[in-house]
Amino acid sequence: MAAAESELTYAEVDEAVNNMLTAPGPGWYLQLIICVALVLLGASCWTAQLLNGMGMAGIAHPIMWGVYITNFVFWVGIAHSGTLISAVLYLFRAKFRQPIYRLAEAMTVFAVMTAGLFPLIHVGRPWFAYWLMPYPNERALWPNFKSPLVWDVFAISTYFTVSAVFFMVGLIPDIASARDRTKCAVRKFVYSITSLGWVGSNRQFKHYSAAYLLFAALATPLVVSVHSVVSWDFAMAIVPGWHATIFPPYFVAGAIFSGVAMVITLIIPMRKVFKLERIITGEHFEAMSKLILLTSGVVTYAYVTEFYTAWFSNNSFERFQFWFRPFGDFWIAFWGMTFCNCIAPLSLWYAPLRRNIAFLFCLSIIINIGMWLERFNIIFTSLAREFIPAAWGGYNFSWVEVGITLGAFGWFGMWMTLFIKFFPAVAIMEVKEVIPAPRRHGGGHH
Amino acid sequence: MSNARAVVGVFTYLDDIMGAIDRVKAQGGTFRVYAPTYVAELDHHTDTTRSKVSLFTATGGVLGLVGGFALAILCGLDWPLRVSAKEIVAIPGYFVIGYECTILLGAIATLLGLLHFCRLPDIVRKVGYDPRFSLDKFGLVVDCASSEVTNYSKLLEDSGADEVREEDGL
Repeated sequence: MAAAESELTYAEVDEAVNNMLTAPGPGWYLQLIICVALVLLGASCWTAQLLNGMGMAGIAHPIMWGVYITNFVFWVGIAHSGTLISAVLYLFRAKFRQPIYRLAEAMTVFAVMTAGLFPLIHVGRPWFAYWLMPYPNERALWPNFKSPLVWDVFAISTYFTVSAVFFMVGLIPDIASARDRTKCAVRKFVYSITSLGWVGSNRQFKHYSAAYLLFAALATPLVVSVHSVVSWDFAMAIVPGWHATIFPPYFVAGAIFSGVAMVITLIIPMRKVFKLERIITGEHFEAMSKLILLTSGVVTYAYVTEFYTAWFSNNSFERFQFWFRPFGDFWIAFWGMTFCNCIAPLSLWYAPLRRNIAFLFCLSIIINIGMWLERFNIIFTSLAREFIPAAWGGYNFSWVEVGITLGAFGWFGMWMTLFIKFFPAVAIMEVKEVIPAPRRHGGGHH
Repeated sequence: MSNARAVVGVFTYLDDIMGAIDRVKAQGGTFRVYAPTYVAELDHHTDTTRSKVSLFTATGGVLGLVGGFALAILCGLDWPLRVSAKEIVAIPGYFVIGYECTILLGAIATLLGLLHFCRLPDIVRKVGYDPRFSLDKFGLVVDCASSEVTNYSKLLEDSGADEVREEDGL
């Protein structure tokens, strides 16, 4: 446990977190307005695409999976680490997760909500999206359950549902705390409903702790499965650069890498604005930095393995693909990815940087740029140089894609902004759990 | 007016409330404990039986596994179109569906189990509850007849309660 946490009392934790829920200031409104403006920009671009057709996007033969699928994989990856921090680290009893996991879980839910938009945008006719679901129909037409794309529908839907349930169950005791502290009648009413009448009785805690453990146990396989299934969207195809058995662990490690970086990006301003320095301490950043170092190493190893496998296979298509990536048309993406994901994180071997908040904030943004470039690199280069030279081609980015991409960041930011102000963004009950309970005869806080 | 009463003790210290629980148990009293967070020691002190939420999880998981495979197999049989040279019923390809449905229904069943055993939602009935119990105080509520109120009030005071009060019982 962090030194600062051991000096905290139950009441101080409540006070610090519930202070976040007070009336918002101008900075919060400004942030919300920027996010909503970006959402409107994205919505306008999508509307233009719906009205004028997919020609508005840069998608054209041979690169039929463009910016939208890159964004989809990027946002699913961002979603990934929330469940890692909330479920996997819970099973490992890693105490550094307590103050950060709520924000990470919220990030997961909102990032999946963002990711889920992109297949709809990409298919061009989102009103037929329900065709992917198995529903009774008079033609007896069913989805092809052998297709990785249908697996993806099930994987993402399950991931969203389980993450949302886990997130909301974790919120219940903390909303009850907010209900008991708030002086605003409207909030009290809303919190009374959303806390479901939680009172923290021994009976409730007994079943809650058992259920929470089960949720963590159920969510943990999802951490592995969801990005594995996303990787199979690529790996099950025979396209050079995609058809690789290393893809599932490579994608999972990359997702954790980018997700933890995004948690750092989000948590540093929140910690500063709401003065949570005593709850989110240097030790938490140290632990997250080490997680970044580990996953950066795994990702780097996967990159090297891809090159080695292509060379060792003696397959001319694979060899050409892995020559094209660093030296072809999209070389900037490859070298940008390499710098951001493999080289920049090495700085964290220097211990003082692992607690340098300004440095970590910049590094987390660099990593997420790198992870977007990684997905770009996988999708674009492979499709641009498939087997037959006559089918090779390039890509023309369009302002519609850029607008929708920015809109997605606005959409994600809007939900995060609203969440932080209306619900406890730090897990009150779990932070209290790591504080020794007060005792008259020694130990604990008084 | 009902004879059922509730004596509420508000405690600051964990060792005090655990002592009070022991004394109430020794007198055969029925009680509830409120705490600001999950304290394993307190949990073991009040109730050593295991939660049965896992039965819901197991049931949901098995239903999901069977349902996921059944969905994929029956859909394949209902529209027998051979794709990518695979069998009409291609079991390996259906593992993902079975796996995801196992987790999905397992999680939903766990949620239902949690709500069932915790008796949630229950927005109205909060006998003996005090908002301080979600902040930094522990609460011990003893359900008793009106004739036992004095006895239990004294017991809680002697155990170190900061405050003892009486309310209408359940």
